[in-house]
Amino acid sequence: MKILDVTLWRFSNQTLFMVKSSPTQEEISELGSVLLEIGSLLMSSGATTSRIRLTIDRIAASFGLSADMLVTHRALTLSLSDSHHNQLYNNLKRTSPHGVNFKLVSGISRMSWRIAENKWSIEDIKTDLSRLKGLPHYPRWIVLTFVSLAGASFCRLAGGDYIEMAVAFMATFIGLFTRQEALKKGFNPYLAVFFGAANASLISGFFTLFDFGINTEHAFATSVLFLIPGIPLINTFSDLFDGNILNGILRWIHGLIIAFMIALGLLVAIYLYQIN
Amino acid sequence: MIEKGFWGGWAAVGFAVLFNVPARALISVYLLGFLGVFTKFLLLGFEINVVLPSFIGASLIGILSIRAAHAKHAPPLIFAIPAVIPLVPGIFAYKTMLGIIALTGKVTENFNQTLAETVNNGAKASFIIMSLAVGVGIPNLITRKNSAKDMVIHPPKMIFKLKRRKTKRKNRREARVRLRRIRKI
Repeated sequence: MKILDVTLWRFSNQTLFMVKSSPTQEEISELGSVLLEIGSLLMSSGATTSRIRLTIDRIAASFGLSADMLVTHRALTLSLSDSHHNQLYNNLKRTSPHGVNFKLVSGISRMSWRIAENKWSIEDIKTDLSRLKGLPHYPRWIVLTFVSLAGASFCRLAGGDYIEMAVAFMATFIGLFTRQEALKKGFNPYLAVFFGAANASLISGFFTLFDFGINTEHAFATSVLFLIPGIPLINTFSDLFDGNILNGILRWIHGLIIAFMIALGLLVAIYLYQIN
Repeated sequence: MIEKGFWGGWAAVGFAVLFNVPARALISVYLLGFLGVFTKFLLLGFEINVVLPSFIGASLIGILSIRAAHAKHAPPLIFAIPAVIPLVPGIFAYKTMLGIIALTGKVTENFNQTLAETVNNGAKASFIIMSLAVGVGIPNLITRKNSAKDMVIHPPKMIFKLKRRKTKRKNRREARVRLRRIRKI
């Protein structure tokens, strides 16, 4: 009878399964680099620290290994060990440039469950990961239109009328376009936010220069709202509550800088147009 | 209020598109955004301080996002984050900033008035943002579970009593089988 190396409980659906033989050293280092890549992708696409830990733990456990990690904003450290506490893999990886992408977060989360359920090999994970990375974003014009619609909706929620909504739509459209172009040209992301905010508020504030008989105060206030750092600020609190206080503070400051840049952009328009 | 909710839903969907939420989740995001804004404005009608309605709206979104996550097989956060964004206190934050700019000017007779208004707006804005973040996290906090897969949101008991009894029986049977399997090993 074949001797079973590792037996372990899988708690997710309370069934017992066995790993036939412990993975070889090569397989482990391959798995480690795949796990680091998954972690860095999750970090850069806007997942919370606890979600990164959970996903990595889940995948490592389905290979009969336990993972310990240090998760920070810019780099991840991972060490894999087996049930006898032997260190098998140790490495560090920089995270990829940050850009929110919930399609990736959702895809990786689904993948991690499938790995555990269907006992995927490392090759399977690799092919699925490259498929997930290749998934397209929404086309640019759809993003621009929908976000501008969101800007107009914000204006309505704040109490604006339909003319103001149109102004907010236009300002958001041009602001977001500016920000995308600035990011494409390789500007600092915070500076791109500043350009977007300044442009949006300059456009929505333009109508205050002349007396058209319309009051565009609501449009002016809400035209920069498409830039608000919603994900950093909400992730801050989930990280803080989980005890990942360092990461929480880090995200908070990141969100604060974005908010500050928005304020700076608005300030340009306020001083130029002398709004008070 | 329904009209506000209508626009709130669109604001949520706009942000969902910006965050690249999968297309199959967009309808849920719209409904959650609608509900959040609708609840907020409904409660605002009772003359309650603006912080509490935002918090209740956000918690509603947080709890229902678990349901959406089960239905669409995606993490709850990708529904909840775009959906709470219409509740963000943009106008208060804007007024705070205008106030701070005004405070950098000369001290005139209505300086105290400006100061009071600025502090008021700033406090409202920051408390609303905090309450949104906590509200979204509420399911995790009160169920003490990390993964949304383990969370169960019970439908009203009267209607689903029969179905639940059946699943209970099934679960017991599964547990017996599992026990037997463990003993064999």
